[in-house]
Amino acid sequence: MKRRTLGAALAALGLAALATAPAQAAGKKLTIALIPGLTTDAFYITMHKGAQAAADALGDTLVFQGAPEFNAVLQVPVLDAVIARHPDAILIAPTDKVQLIQPLKKAIDAGIKVITVDTFIGTGKYQTGSGDADFPLSYVASDNILGGQIAARALAKAIGDKGKVYVSNVKPGVSTTDQREEGFKEEMKNHPGITVLTTQFNDDDANKAASQLQSVLARNPDLAGVFGANLFSALGAANGVKQAGKAGAIKVAAFDAPKSIVEQLKSGLVDMAIAQHPSEIGYFGVVAAHAALTGHSIPTAIGTGFTVITKDNVDDPNVSRFLYSD
Amino acid sequence: MSTTATVAARQSSRVPLLAALAAARAWLFLIVLITVFEIWARVSFGASFVGNLFNLRSVAVFAVAPLLLAIGQTFVIISGGIDLSVGFTMGLAAIVLAHTVNLATPALGTGAGLLVGVAVAVLASMIPGVVNGLLIARLRVPPFIGTLGMYGVARGVAFLLAGGTTVPVSNAALNYIGNGQLAGFPVVVLLTVLALLVLHYLLSQSKFGQYTYAVGGNRAAAVRAGINVRSVTIRLYVLSAVCAGIGGILYTGRFSAGAAQAGEPLLLDSIAAVVIGGASLFGGSGTIVGTLIGALIVAVIQYGLVFINVEPFWQFVAVGVVIIISVLVDQSQRRLGGGRVDE
Repeated sequence: MKRRTLGAALAALGLAALATAPAQAAGKKLTIALIPGLTTDAFYITMHKGAQAAADALGDTLVFQGAPEFNAVLQVPVLDAVIARHPDAILIAPTDKVQLIQPLKKAIDAGIKVITVDTFIGTGKYQTGSGDADFPLSYVASDNILGGQIAARALAKAIGDKGKVYVSNVKPGVSTTDQREEGFKEEMKNHPGITVLTTQFNDDDANKAASQLQSVLARNPDLAGVFGANLFSALGAANGVKQAGKAGAIKVAAFDAPKSIVEQLKSGLVDMAIAQHPSEIGYFGVVAAHAALTGHSIPTAIGTGFTVITKDNVDDPNVSRFLYSD
Repeated sequence: MSTTATVAARQSSRVPLLAALAAARAWLFLIVLITVFEIWARVSFGASFVGNLFNLRSVAVFAVAPLLLAIGQTFVIISGGIDLSVGFTMGLAAIVLAHTVNLATPALGTGAGLLVGVAVAVLASMIPGVVNGLLIARLRVPPFIGTLGMYGVARGVAFLLAGGTTVPVSNAALNYIGNGQLAGFPVVVLLTVLALLVLHYLLSQSKFGQYTYAVGGNRAAAVRAGINVRSVTIRLYVLSAVCAGIGGILYTGRFSAGAAQAGEPLLLDSIAAVVIGGASLFGGSGTIVGTLIGALIVAVIQYGLVFINVEPFWQFVAVGVVIIISVLVDQSQRRLGGGRVDE
């Protein structure tokens, strides 16, 4: 598909013989669009910065467009509008594993290369020749299962490898937070002294997450720790701990690390934050798109790292650079 | 409408006991709910639900934020309107407070810094209220549309001011308001009780309260009776916005951070509280006490289901079922008690 569009352009230049040559060879500036899960989140804002840095370094143009909420109904029109502008490649954090498959096929049909970042469609395994959602070229993201495992290890250590813990999660069906929970529970199986209680879903409402912590605590006075699978889950749970007068006694692990987490770490409200590297995701997403557009093969999955931030290391510049900037 | 009301009134006088029961049904419903949780907790794991002070305190703190949105909303709903913008007005106030306190505290000290922050946040929350009121009262924009537009505007401005992230704030006095206790009672709960008392007085005893019912009951009649409906309407939406603003201030105190999306998930819970509390979405009826009970019902279900360890997916179902049952009971109350049936 890509070849057909390119071919038309190049034929007009009388270079039909070079129709299979990479776009860059024609001296055309590549346009890469980044569509985040939502625009109002420090995680994606940081990803945008990383993507911009890579685009600047490679001489590409980056377009950043998204919906204000993490919602497929709102994201699809944005995607359609971006496809209509016909960039060379789209980097997208799909807001639903299934609902975004058909809309993204339209991009492929238009000859646009698709790479998913942070979240995925289908199974997240691409270019396998199986299923109807293997068409994106690559999935660039933190391994969220690994992130959940790292959180579990850090929390287990903090509570001395025994007691009850639970996961405070946003809502079911979101690929990344589901995987964090999965990884967390998987790792906790290696810690026989720790019991994992039922997961509580808070709809991204800190107030509800706080209330749930208190209710779980009322039922389980020996609660030792909680894993907040995203920012508001963690802030809510931390407040529940504080209101219950259990600060320090119940350990709180937070996934994600916006700048506001520093205050919470220093005040002891949150004991550890698992930072993803969104800037790295944006940077390598753009690099992968550029490589694919200039005729290079790229890996079908690129995993980015994690950093565990605590009160003790948050002032170290090698750690604090992983705080999400705004 | 008046014929229906008279007929219904006659019917209700025939069955006074049923009518009395129906009038107290929100209370009864709350008591039934608590009893179910109490029995379940005792039978399944030998603990008490209400006998545990920690539970009571937790439910009270949980109910604070939706309740603050709901009490202002009660006035608006009684007047026949609706305010969809409250969630983001709350977020706007939270962000403005966080920024102002961060700026003012180093210069003025903890107490004065907080006072300045609160004053600016309350003023900021009034802006969406005034605009809502003007749109609805002067330009005759339907409340649903006008406040939906303001929902978007307040949201955008709040996120712009916040730079798309949460704004951490550090001020000991604000932290005390959010997480402190006075004589064993959480400060947020005491402040909310104060707001409840003031608004209950305003609705049930003041002229403004009477006008609110009059505008919602029959707008044309209210105009003919010489009530300045426009001015009342504007004040209603400002009141709703200020309540939401106070909600945002308490939220920022609790979580030591302002968040633009703080109130977003609370809008539906708060409207549910008002309706469960007996207010009609068609205007003309509702009370602050009813809304309080409604908010407690919503909070008790959500807290209680976690306490008795119900599977999370069943929690969604249970909350929905309770809301439907509650409104069904309300409809039958209206048939018996002489109120208007929403059909």
